[in-house]
Amino acid sequence: MITIPTASYSNWLNKVPEVTLSFWIIKIMSTTVGETGADFLAVNVGWGAGVTSAVMATLLAAALFIQLRARRYVPWIYWFTVVLVSIVGTQITDLLTDGLGVSLYVSTAAFAVTLATIFFIWYRAERTLSIHDIVTRRRELFYWAAILCTFALGTAAGDLATEALGLGFTRGALVFGALIGATYAAWRFGGGAVLTFWVGYILTRPFGASLGDLLTQAKTYGGLGLGAMLTSAIFLSVIVILVAVAQFEMDAVRSSQAIE
Amino acid sequence: MSAQHASVRPFTLLSVSALLAFTVGCSKPATPGAAGTVTAPVQNALSSQGISVSKLGDLSAFRSIASDVATLVDTGDLSAAKNRIKDLEVVWDDAEAGLKPRAAGDWHLLDKAIDNALGALRANKPNQASCKTATADLLKAFDRLQGKV
Repeated sequence: MITIPTASYSNWLNKVPEVTLSFWIIKIMSTTVGETGADFLAVNVGWGAGVTSAVMATLLAAALFIQLRARRYVPWIYWFTVVLVSIVGTQITDLLTDGLGVSLYVSTAAFAVTLATIFFIWYRAERTLSIHDIVTRRRELFYWAAILCTFALGTAAGDLATEALGLGFTRGALVFGALIGATYAAWRFGGGAVLTFWVGYILTRPFGASLGDLLTQAKTYGGLGLGAMLTSAIFLSVIVILVAVAQFEMDAVRSSQAIE
Repeated sequence: MSAQHASVRPFTLLSVSALLAFTVGCSKPATPGAAGTVTAPVQNALSSQGISVSKLGDLSAFRSIASDVATLVDTGDLSAAKNRIKDLEVVWDDAEAGLKPRAAGDWHLLDKAIDNALGALRANKPNQASCKTATADLLKAFDRLQGKV
């Protein structure tokens, strides 16, 4: 069922999931859960931003190590890595903004240039940016570098929209939601699949943050007032269900292949 | 295999949206209680004091914690002050997404002042004079934004 075009791909299988509706739901919700979780550790538990960042970076290194060593896409490893990339990507931007006082205009521009550079080198080396054929170590490293960069860029661009335009979470959810809708439409009407995927990947970062804020923020501020705990619990349940189903489907496919 | 996919996917998405709708629906009536810890003091303080409201909205609930901290610093109980200022850190952090878009510049001004006070109280050997300066500056920042100075 998976065709491997040339022998040079050796025994690697595609290491990333198909891009489906549930892919995007998990991706958006991971953003919120990751951010709330890191915030909880930094403020409520009292680790502070520095310790929390160090712990998350270490966890990310461990998760990436496991993900890179896996021979195929394993849903729980992949999504665990995405949650951590989301947290660390956000923390990189926060560190630049709050710790080093870098302007959000500068960081947004710098991350956009970095992402473009990653894509340029990736394309030069591989002649494709396809996210359906992450079948070699080098491509996988490009893939995760690009993903980390989209989270940092999405955070910076989202914060910039808040700071410069005073875009609150309600309008933020609408604006970023509409941009995602436009990207989806562009893809449906023949826009490049790779380009629209990455644009969607960047936009879902601030969209996920706005959506999370809309649910967590107190009614005084125009939110639904569910609080960070309940919202995270709901999102985490949804993520666990979707990832468990993906894992279950994968195991079912593999055991049916083994029988054949 | 594809038949299995076709049946499992919609089922999952359905159950997920059902879970979402259920949880959001169920928690509606309970929300005033759940969110009340943050919102109720804000509203009560607003109606009872009737002070002028900054671009960030009513900040009296935050200011009243800061004023508790300042009182504790004055009595010399720096460790109690350090505990109390954590309450301010938590509610301030929780409200960031709601407050910041209203006036980012004012928000940063207060955020910096809170950070300074946190830093002074959380120093390895907190010094009463510097804690006093930092908390006094913090109260001044609140008052300036609420047009009381």
